[in-house]
Amino acid sequence: MIAVGDRVPSGTLRWKDGEGGVHAQDITERCAGRTVVLFGLPGAFTPTCDGAHLPGFIRVADDLRGAGVDEIICLSVNDVHVMKLWGEQSGAEDAGIAMLADGDGSLARAMGLAWSNADVGFHDRSRRYAMLLVDGVVKVMHLDELGVCAVSTGEAMLEDVKSAL
Amino acid sequence: MTIEVGTPLPAATLVRLGDDGPEAIDTRDYVAGRKVVLFGLPGAFSGTCSTSHVPSFMRTAEAFREKGIDEIICVSVNDAFVMKAWGEATGATAAGLTFLADADASLTKALGMEFSVPVLGFYDRSNRYALVLDDGIVTVANVDEPNTCNLSTGESLLEAMAI
Repeated sequence: MIAVGDRVPSGTLRWKDGEGGVHAQDITERCAGRTVVLFGLPGAFTPTCDGAHLPGFIRVADDLRGAGVDEIICLSVNDVHVMKLWGEQSGAEDAGIAMLADGDGSLARAMGLAWSNADVGFHDRSRRYAMLLVDGVVKVMHLDELGVCAVSTGEAMLEDVKSAL
Repeated sequence: MTIEVGTPLPAATLVRLGDDGPEAIDTRDYVAGRKVVLFGLPGAFSGTCSTSHVPSFMRTAEAFREKGIDEIICVSVNDAFVMKAWGEATGATAAGLTFLADADASLTKALGMEFSVPVLGFYDRSNRYALVLDDGIVTVANVDEPNTCNLSTGESLLEAMAI
């Protein structure tokens, strides 16, 4: 499992722009030379992700940028269409949070953060986490236990990001 | 394989978001003893599905009911949370359509409808089809070629039922 000091593994991020175009970029390229807060969660439109985790980062987005963060990325094992609409409906897009798709869950697996709950219809999704990446290297890692959104919240990250930067 | 008239709907597990969270639904139990329209498509919130395919069944829902259809079900390889959000966003839930998630693509694969588009993050999604089921037996099957939305629209299925 990815930990502080590790380099983020290679993997493809995908997203849809306002005109419907679909884009792809490797996460290592996106994070190179930049300071990025990356948070991952089980799924778009789910109660905890939509009601707690994402809103927390919307609230602290400006403060994170003020602390020196270049980009805030929300990553989920959903497709680009779902991520785009979720970003629009939740207000995350307006808050400047990049809503990116790990469509096949390969990045979640590469980071050792894959998780399934067949009862809910979740296959190879992601655990809930938030990390600070400086030039692609993990400086802060907050991983939540299954079923909760406690340590990976925006507010909790903001505190540690301020200390780390 | 493709879907053939006269064959039963395959056994598979779909997921619905109930008041207490996701609930598993057995396809055969669900459609037993009823007349049902079931249509499948590539994905919630994707262009053609939201703007064309789902609206075609919203427009024709009343006409299907008049023909004795008890329920109109939209199935997609998404999870139940996404399907619920999509049903609300499109207005289709309000129009009386049911949205069920084929979360593990088991029904889609059993019907031989699966396809993948990795650049979109689509894995084992469903091609477009629309079926009329009478007590679980396929009585009309309109299957679209990939990337088209013609035969499987509400209007086309309604027309096929009349023949």
